[in-house]
Amino acid sequence: MTSLSRSEADLRTPPTQPSGAWMVVAGQELHDIWLSARGPVIVLAFSLLLSLLTYLAAANKELNILDQKDTVNLIMQITLGIGVAVALLFSADTISGERERETFESLLLTPAPRRQIALGKFLAAVSVWPVIMIVAIPYVWALKLGSGLFADAVAAGFVAGTLLTIAFASIGIIVSIFSNSNRLSLATSFFVFVVLLAPTQLPLSGWFGDFIINVNPVTAGSTFLDRVIVKDQGWGEASNLLIAPILAALIASSVAFVIAGRLRLQAGIDR
Amino acid sequence: MRPTGEHGGAAAGTIESAAAQTVLKVDRISKSFGPTTAVRDLSFEVSPGEIMGLLGPNGAGKTTAIRVLSTILPPTSGSFTLSGTPYTQPREVRRQIGVLPESAGYPLQLSGEEFLRYHARLFGHTARAAREVAASLLSEVGLTERASSLISTYSRGMRQRLGVARALVNAPRVIFLDEPTLGLDPAGQRQILGLVRDVAGERGTAIILSTHFLDEVEETCSRVIILNRGEVIAEGSVAEIKRRAAPRTARAHVPPELHERALSALKQASGVSSVDSSDNQRGWLTATFDSAWLDEHREAGMNSVIRSLTDADVPVLSFELEGGRLSDAFLLLTEGR
Repeated sequence: MTSLSRSEADLRTPPTQPSGAWMVVAGQELHDIWLSARGPVIVLAFSLLLSLLTYLAAANKELNILDQKDTVNLIMQITLGIGVAVALLFSADTISGERERETFESLLLTPAPRRQIALGKFLAAVSVWPVIMIVAIPYVWALKLGSGLFADAVAAGFVAGTLLTIAFASIGIIVSIFSNSNRLSLATSFFVFVVLLAPTQLPLSGWFGDFIINVNPVTAGSTFLDRVIVKDQGWGEASNLLIAPILAALIASSVAFVIAGRLRLQAGIDR
Repeated sequence: MRPTGEHGGAAAGTIESAAAQTVLKVDRISKSFGPTTAVRDLSFEVSPGEIMGLLGPNGAGKTTAIRVLSTILPPTSGSFTLSGTPYTQPREVRRQIGVLPESAGYPLQLSGEEFLRYHARLFGHTARAAREVAASLLSEVGLTERASSLISTYSRGMRQRLGVARALVNAPRVIFLDEPTLGLDPAGQRQILGLVRDVAGERGTAIILSTHFLDEVEETCSRVIILNRGEVIAEGSVAEIKRRAAPRTARAHVPPELHERALSALKQASGVSSVDSSDNQRGWLTATFDSAWLDEHREAGMNSVIRSLTDADVPVLSFELEGGRLSDAFLLLTEGR
């Protein structure tokens, strides 16, 4: 071990007003996600799934029981579902995961504002969505739709997916802030997602069905895609279905922003 | 460290000088969790370059005290300032402190160098400065050769040294080390303690060292606070604390055939209130001193035992004092509470 002169030590004194901690945290989290196995493995698995679907839909005419619009809709729905689910699980791991790995205290001991820590982690978690979306684009293109429908499908998928990713990643952060156990955080977040996803698989009809479709951000986003891609509705006509995803994104991110200011070493109590 | 209460009778100039030298001033800090008080009325001051030991049995409140003073937990009552910065400005306080938490985890997928760079950036260093700080600190803690190795491949001792380096990324005025040598082998303990002394001596950084290992405190710390069940039960220099457990008994080993003569001589020795010869091993005698007499004859007290035996022509084969060590003081102060 070498000794350190006083002047060297003085040089180490950081600036009095550090800024941009959220960028530092986001950069580190992005490094963890994309330069470790987690992110690339998920993207690889997702691209393999889309390859299989596209192959079945476009190449094997005998097994192709959906027309091209339905196939594109299916691919966009899967893209949206997987992108949102992965962002949710990544965000649910952020705080509770650090607590479980006992790395959170060191992070809280820095002068980085709590909200910036949460923001950095949130941005890294949602980074999975654009990557998933970009991976999906060539598959939609491969189905050789007319250029107008291709653009509409990609744009609708991107808008709905972005809103839902923001909403669910915020929910994941909120749950993670209140969880000491990573398992609890991941299970609770995934349960919320499954509960909201379930109605998309149900035959919803009548006023109650319409109510659920419009109120539940997942069914609203899914139906929005269906109307734009399959039923050829214009954005203006289907835009009312974006209200729930927009509200969900706004409310969840606002709540996450507020409670992130009170990040604690352990959830719920000053311990 | 100076106990806060000692300033009362000092001259004004001395007070000003002491205030200028005080880097951490803690004033009656308490922390409660519901009905449980983890720390009660903790007060002390620390000067630059001073190493203060924070001792106490498990559950004494050491970790809670450190978490309050490092702004992880808000105090229930009381206050503290760090170089004049009040605890109500936690970000400013955190800028000036370094902490090695008791249960410090490490991102195992990062290298030691990446870990230090990350924390240096969080303290506001530019990317370039963070690289320089990381390289310098890795050298200081003897990890340069393993700088690019993943932390998952580090031994516990190396991780603790990395933790000390992390606590230094912001050139702190005060460092809190919570059980830094726990789980280390003797060589690892020695390395960490050497590092602690270097940091205090060469940088002038005040260090609060929480530990269970009393030998470490005797070896490293100039002052000590002993906590028990959240309360300060003793504070002062190591010598002052040790004096509280001054030896009250002495054991002498004499030839078994001279056992009776030795027993008789000891009973007549100055200050000896009783002699116990019930030891299973014949030849061992335990003399207990009268407390009042011992307080008056502290320096010469123990000599009376040896003198009485030699005057009676009883050779002393072995002689032991019981008490007088920091561990004796610690047990004396914390037992039965």
